[in-house]
Amino acid sequence: MENIEPPTAVRSRVLKMWRLFFCCWLLAIISKNLHAQQPVVLPPGVAVQMMLPQPAVDVSPAQSYSATAAFDPPTVRVGEKTFYRVTVDATQNAIAWPDEIAAPPELKFGASVRGQISRVEGNRFHPLTSFVYEVTATQPGNFTVPGLVLPIGWPPVEIPPATLAVTETNLVATISARRLALEISGTNFFPGQPFRVRVLLFAAEGNQIEALRELEFNGGGLLTDKLATRQSVEMVKRDGQMRPAFVQETVATPLVPGSLNISAQAFTAGHEFGGPVAISGQVTIAGGVPNYILLTSEPLTITVRPLPDGELPGYTGTMGKFLADKTQLSTNRLRVGEPVQLKFGFHPEGDLTRFVPPSPPRSRDWQIIAGKPGENSFTLIPQTDGATMTPVIPFSAFDPATKKFYDLTIPAWPVTVIGEGLPVQLDDWNAAEKNPAPLKLSGLAMTRGKTAVSLKPLQSQGWFVVAQLLPVIFFWALWRWDERRRFLEAHPEIVRRRQAKRELRRVKIKIEAAAAAGDAEKFVQHAAAAMRVVVAPHFPAEARALVGGDVLTQLNAAERNGRDGETVRNIFAAADAQFGGTSISPSPLRAEAALLVLKTDVEAVLKKLEDKL
Amino acid sequence: MTVFICILEICWRATKSGRGLPQSRTLARWRCATKFAERLGLRALVVTFSLFVANAYSATNDFFTQGMALNQAGQFPEAAAAFQSDLKHQVSPGALVNLGIAEWQGGHAGAAMLAWERAAWLDPYDERAKQNLKFARQVTQVDAPELRWHEKISAVLPSAAWGWLAGVGLWLATGALVLPRVFRWRKSGGPQALAALGVGIFILALTAEFGVAGRTNLGVVLKKNAPLLLTPTRAGEMILTLNAGESARVLRARGNFYFIRTLMGAGWVARENIGFVVEK
Repeated sequence: MENIEPPTAVRSRVLKMWRLFFCCWLLAIISKNLHAQQPVVLPPGVAVQMMLPQPAVDVSPAQSYSATAAFDPPTVRVGEKTFYRVTVDATQNAIAWPDEIAAPPELKFGASVRGQISRVEGNRFHPLTSFVYEVTATQPGNFTVPGLVLPIGWPPVEIPPATLAVTETNLVATISARRLALEISGTNFFPGQPFRVRVLLFAAEGNQIEALRELEFNGGGLLTDKLATRQSVEMVKRDGQMRPAFVQETVATPLVPGSLNISAQAFTAGHEFGGPVAISGQVTIAGGVPNYILLTSEPLTITVRPLPDGELPGYTGTMGKFLADKTQLSTNRLRVGEPVQLKFGFHPEGDLTRFVPPSPPRSRDWQIIAGKPGENSFTLIPQTDGATMTPVIPFSAFDPATKKFYDLTIPAWPVTVIGEGLPVQLDDWNAAEKNPAPLKLSGLAMTRGKTAVSLKPLQSQGWFVVAQLLPVIFFWALWRWDERRRFLEAHPEIVRRRQAKRELRRVKIKIEAAAAAGDAEKFVQHAAAAMRVVVAPHFPAEARALVGGDVLTQLNAAERNGRDGETVRNIFAAADAQFGGTSISPSPLRAEAALLVLKTDVEAVLKKLEDKL
Repeated sequence: MTVFICILEICWRATKSGRGLPQSRTLARWRCATKFAERLGLRALVVTFSLFVANAYSATNDFFTQGMALNQAGQFPEAAAAFQSDLKHQVSPGALVNLGIAEWQGGHAGAAMLAWERAAWLDPYDERAKQNLKFARQVTQVDAPELRWHEKISAVLPSAAWGWLAGVGLWLATGALVLPRVFRWRKSGGPQALAALGVGIFILALTAEFGVAGRTNLGVVLKKNAPLLLTPTRAGEMILTLNAGESARVLRARGNFYFIRTLMGAGWVARENIGFVVEK
């Protein structure tokens, strides 16, 4: 008999398999949507702080406060300065320090400073506040500044009295008060012009160097750049001697014009150099717990002059000499609304400079967004496709050396801005419309087609109008000529008269020539011809067919019977004689002379006959 | 132009080689002329001038070809600039149509429609210009300009054609009246009919001339949302904004403004916002 499983067992096994499959499927689905937890990223400073062990802050109650008061140095000569220093191990804000100190009148209290420092004692932070007064003794003797009570917590803190011994001058060698030395890189500045400040603490006996902490500058109107602070121990010449000193150098910037009195204050901090220090020279650095003493420096006066007139556009406060680097535009071909980055750079000449990047100007065609600090860039977004140049970004700086503003404007770049394209094809087509619009734009024309010089209509061009009128003028002239011709055809006597006058002029010339030459024969011929010509139109007849009698008919009776008629008869007689080959006079020479004398009469006759034409 | 130079050179050489051979009077005259021209050094001058003209022609040809290549490459602003350079030398419907296409694809509807209107002005039967104008008006939802009856007549032919027609009609009428009388032709109906025809052509052409003159005042709005102002000042009250490509009739000018009439209304618009079909 075969070993066959009962049906219930099979069923339960199938169920188990289905269950397993379902769980796996569910797991797969869920795990797909699960994400691994990302580790929390901490900023570096916080991470370091979490790793380094830190002392606790002392929050113990008031009874643990203590205070000290002392003169430093405790013995001075008359007129020498000393410092009255009160130190309380409490926070500055907790101390209600009086405005006036009750002191003997022989002690003149001058400038005062106050400062707070955190010192580590054991494994706790303890605050320490110092109040320091400059005191000058005017008379010798021992003077005591009485103590006072400060209401810090309960019981109040008692400030003990402090005694100063003032000796006569030159009697006792005294230790001069320990002070900071302040050095400034100049005395005349402009607002916003950075300058270098050095605070020196000379080494004590045995070339013992102490660090400085909580450095502050008093005077107001001054901004210090803590990032530009540098510490060093170096040999410094002072009073003709090279002495080791702890130097803390920083950059300060005056903010307001006027005369500023600057002094420095800082706590001595032993070996607590907060940061890297460059040490040169042989010095001693004491170990152990530092003695935190608040020191001050002599005040120095600087003059901050106001900026001169002539501020150029785009001045943001940049000071110093800068040279512009080549600007860079990420692309010069862009679409409307597409951003483009404009990078600029300026490198300074010298290290005492202040760079404030230019502000984005306002532009109608561009949206201008300044880049993040340190990026030195602008993001430009064109608003229209009519923009052909990026906007000019006005920028200028002030050079304290030349005392003048100069231009550093970022120039415009040529760009091509492409507008939003218009559709070249329509999707809808209304078949019901009578004259539907085409669905798409046509293709490019392969050839130019018929060309023209300009779009201006020909009719508006002067030469065309003249060219159109010229034929008309010609036709008009032709018509006028035809009219004249017809008139002359209808009045031939006018033509004949004109011809006769023309011919008469020609013959007169010949008469003149013949008379001048003394040629009587020709004179007579031409005179007779002239008379025939001038009377021919009256008949009308061919002039050569006329005789003297015809000429006489054109004269009136008086003329005919007078000199004029005689002249005509003589001329024609002579002409006829010439024609017949005979002479009218037995003496030809005398006859010729007589004929030539008739010239005047002939002219008179011709004149009268011509007037009758 | 190269072919012309070659022909000139061939003719020159042919005449020189024909010395001593019997020649026609015309050829002999041409030989004398060429000899004379040669003495004056004109041959070199003519060839140089022909080359210059050929160069100029090929330069303009280059802008047209360049524009087409740029358009096909998708560089529409550059293509438009190339076509505009071509149009500076000579105006042609083909270049205007292509300029319009480049401007349209660059997003300038107003400039595109102005270019097509100009193409239609030069050649009313240019199918591309007509098609594109219809398409553009459909896209921009502007109407075609309203033309008066004599302007509609003038739009049937190119503007220059009407000028010549008027001239021909005038010459025909004047000649038909004058010449028969001058030549003393027998009076008949022929010349009088010709004169009547000429007068008819002249009057028709004159009407169309008025239409042409009227159409020179038509313009196209170039910029989108160009303001139509109540007064010819920058700070004038805005009546409405005009669509790019909208037709307008310019009635008068004052300072930097034109007084225009559109289908939407009348008012003043800045000069830079209007483009004339025929530049003033």
